[in-house]
Amino acid sequence: MTAPRDGAPQPAPLGALRAAVPTAPCRSGGPGVVAVALSGDQMETAVHALALSGGARLADLFALPAGDGLEAGGPELALHLVYALDHDQTYCRLEAPVTGPEYARLSDAAPAAFVEECEIYEQWGIRPAGDKHLNRIFLSPLAAAPLRTAAPVTRRARPGPGEVRAPHVVQGEAFEFPVGPVRGVAQESLYLGLVTTGEELLDAFLAFFHKHRGVEQQLRGRSPDGALFLVERTEGPGAVGNGLAFARAVEAATGMVPPVAAEATRLVALELERLYNHAAATAALCQATGLGVGQAQAEILLEECLRLNAAAFGHRYLFNVVAVGGVRRGCDAAELRRRLPVLCGELRRVSGALLATNSHVDRLEAAGVLSEAAARRLGLVGPVARASGLDLDTRRDHPTGPGPAGRLLVPTRSTGDVLGRLQVMLAEIDETERLITDWLAADAVLPAVAVAVAPVPGSEPGTGVREGLGWAESSRGESLAFVRLGPDGRVVAARQRPAAARNWRAFDDALRSRNVFTDVAIIEASFWLTVAGYAR
Amino acid sequence: MTRLLTPSPSDPAVAPTADQLRAQVGRLFGRSLYIRTVDTGSCAACESEIRLLAAPHYDLHRLGFFFTPAPRHADLLMVTGPGTTGMAHALRATHAAMPDPKVVVAVGACALGGVYRQADDLTHGGVTGLLPVDVLIPGCPPSPLALLQGLLVAVGRLAERIEPARFRIEGAEAP
Amino acid sequence: MARWFLRGLRRGVVTTRYPHRPDPEAARVPTPPAFDPARLTGALADQLVAVCPSGALERRGDTLVLDVGACTACQRCLPVAGAAGRPSGVFECAATDRDRLRVAIPIRGQHR
Ligand code: SF4
Ligand code: SF4
Repeated sequence: MTAPRDGAPQPAPLGALRAAVPTAPCRSGGPGVVAVALSGDQMETAVHALALSGGARLADLFALPAGDGLEAGGPELALHLVYALDHDQTYCRLEAPVTGPEYARLSDAAPAAFVEECEIYEQWGIRPAGDKHLNRIFLSPLAAAPLRTAAPVTRRARPGPGEVRAPHVVQGEAFEFPVGPVRGVAQESLYLGLVTTGEELLDAFLAFFHKHRGVEQQLRGRSPDGALFLVERTEGPGAVGNGLAFARAVEAATGMVPPVAAEATRLVALELERLYNHAAATAALCQATGLGVGQAQAEILLEECLRLNAAAFGHRYLFNVVAVGGVRRGCDAAELRRRLPVLCGELRRVSGALLATNSHVDRLEAAGVLSEAAARRLGLVGPVARASGLDLDTRRDHPTGPGPAGRLLVPTRSTGDVLGRLQVMLAEIDETERLITDWLAADAVLPAVAVAVAPVPGSEPGTGVREGLGWAESSRGESLAFVRLGPDGRVVAARQRPAAARNWRAFDDALRSRNVFTDVAIIEASFWLTVAGYAR
Repeated sequence: MTRLLTPSPSDPAVAPTADQLRAQVGRLFGRSLYIRTVDTGSCAACESEIRLLAAPHYDLHRLGFFFTPAPRHADLLMVTGPGTTGMAHALRATHAAMPDPKVVVAVGACALGGVYRQADDLTHGGVTGLLPVDVLIPGCPPSPLALLQGLLVAVGRLAERIEPARFRIEGAEAP
Repeated sequence: MARWFLRGLRRGVVTTRYPHRPDPEAARVPTPPAFDPARLTGALADQLVAVCPSGALERRGDTLVLDVGACTACQRCLPVAGAAGRPSGVFECAATDRDRLRVAIPIRGQHR
């Protein structure tokens, strides 16, 4: 599980892809990325070849205007597919132009693509062939008439609200119990339509559009640093993971190489983010099972985590730490050395006590079960995937810089239930502590006052359009970002794919696995996702 | 005392006088105060800080504040996020369901018109245009201590500390 | 349950004494900037406005308006300001009037 992988000369899925579409030009898309340009009719063949090859996971799908601009009547749209070849330390990025209002349906060969197909329809007005209904993702039925339009977001007419609602049928004894969008105190806005006959949950319909802010559109025209500012604020509890993915995308586009110490420093921030999120999930689980004392203990530790963040990096949620090409500030290593072991020891003691509390554990066992097959089919990432038996971790599978390549222990479970997810998170805390301690012992991190950013090569005007893909293992799993920079160095187009955007699609599956009403909060806490990351 | 409650009708003939308002506020903090929150597109960090107000380190209850999920029991509405169009209706409905007198507190830079900066077809660029806001708490996110101060300002138990001079470095030697 | 109760007792009181006593934790959070009018030139003010990603700074003739409400305390303006700026250290920023949060800083620095 922890052995370093031998670099195969040609990853098997890539070989299968090349054999299927031999004429498609293939080039390097930065370190660890292969970019393949397809023609419109090759796309379906390529997707099938990759699906059959076994070693390729569809990590993202999105549409952007082909070429560099959004000028009216300009180039057509292009579909981008990002495949993760997890055994080969490679991401494979496919790009295929779309002409006309339809493209070949991808979600048959790659079921994980369905949500993105709906998203693309809302954003750009192109849809997969066939007459399957598409779900509403971002388009609010209440915002059908735009209030004020700052800039045209799409070149094609957006579909009307009536066109993007898959008919959902609630039959027989069952009824749909609406929860939200205004839910519990200080919970994020989300609509949950729980289909039930009274106690047992039969089905669930989720609506995320209430929080849609159009962050990806807002990134256009910003400088990379200004864009990073907004990326961090897309999903606050994932600021480092998503920010790092975005910064790496810009670095890949421009050929920047962050200084080694800066890279180590931002990896420390990433691990601290994991630590506080796992503590927060533990507290939320206690709240959901009604274990008040456990909740108070876990909240004390969560607050201590946030205070450690503030002491080490100057911000409780680690905003403003990552910079494009390095870090905005170093960290206070002395504080970390002093407080981290105490904090992790306390976390272990509290989690040990939680796992020994039968009334708590009984509620977690066999609740919200996700099978390995479902997790694979939906392309899940992070602790949710690992608790269902998928051995994925971007830190190990797609190493960057001086990361912990090859010797990272990735805990997995095969139960796929809430308890499994909690166990995975708790096991990750140990690994996080070890990683930070190693970096501190090696004096690899920057002192607090230092700012280290790589020089920006090739940002002079006339450089042309550059593209890059970036990734990071956030506390919720793999976070991806794609960026296209214009000749002036500003963002022309960007795509963010936080882990939450991936894992929410399994939430209704987990709810359907023979649960009762009161399990909803427990399952939600064990996923520990944000609505903000999905409804970006 | 500074203006604490924005009268709902803006017509001066209908609006309550300052004295009436003061009496209402007196009633408000004569007993414990119930808080309802609404998220209108926040990044979830503001929600996290609000949740921690009830945690042992801050223990909001010692100051007589309680959270309530029911808007009909709430005296104070905390709003986060830039006011997405998708949440505008739910926000207004929540506000309307609260009994008078009520206090609206906008929380975080997003809600105050930063971060997203301008209204477009997806956000209102802040919540100040959506509801009459009584107290504004800056920060990204405001720490629980800043939230506590804001809540105490909202009920008039703590004076505002915002003074322009604190953001000017005066008396420094000439450059 | 008894185990949990004992654990809670052992932890002791962690609750802040704020607002009756100041809380040292307040010094750890980032705060909006403060600027030195004497060192603030028009050119510098324009640079500050350009660097702020949150739209919290605005130039109005001979004043730089800092909107504490829109400021995220990201401190991107501080390296640009150099000696003309530092964190204000003010965390108690709540206000009852939107305009109270807009702080005018006169631009008195001379071009050299
Ligand atoms: S103010 Fe900052 S922390 Fe609060 S929701 Fe907005 S971006 Fe997030
Ligand atoms: S701290 Fe950040 S948000 Fe505030 S004025 Fe400076 S650059 Fe703008």
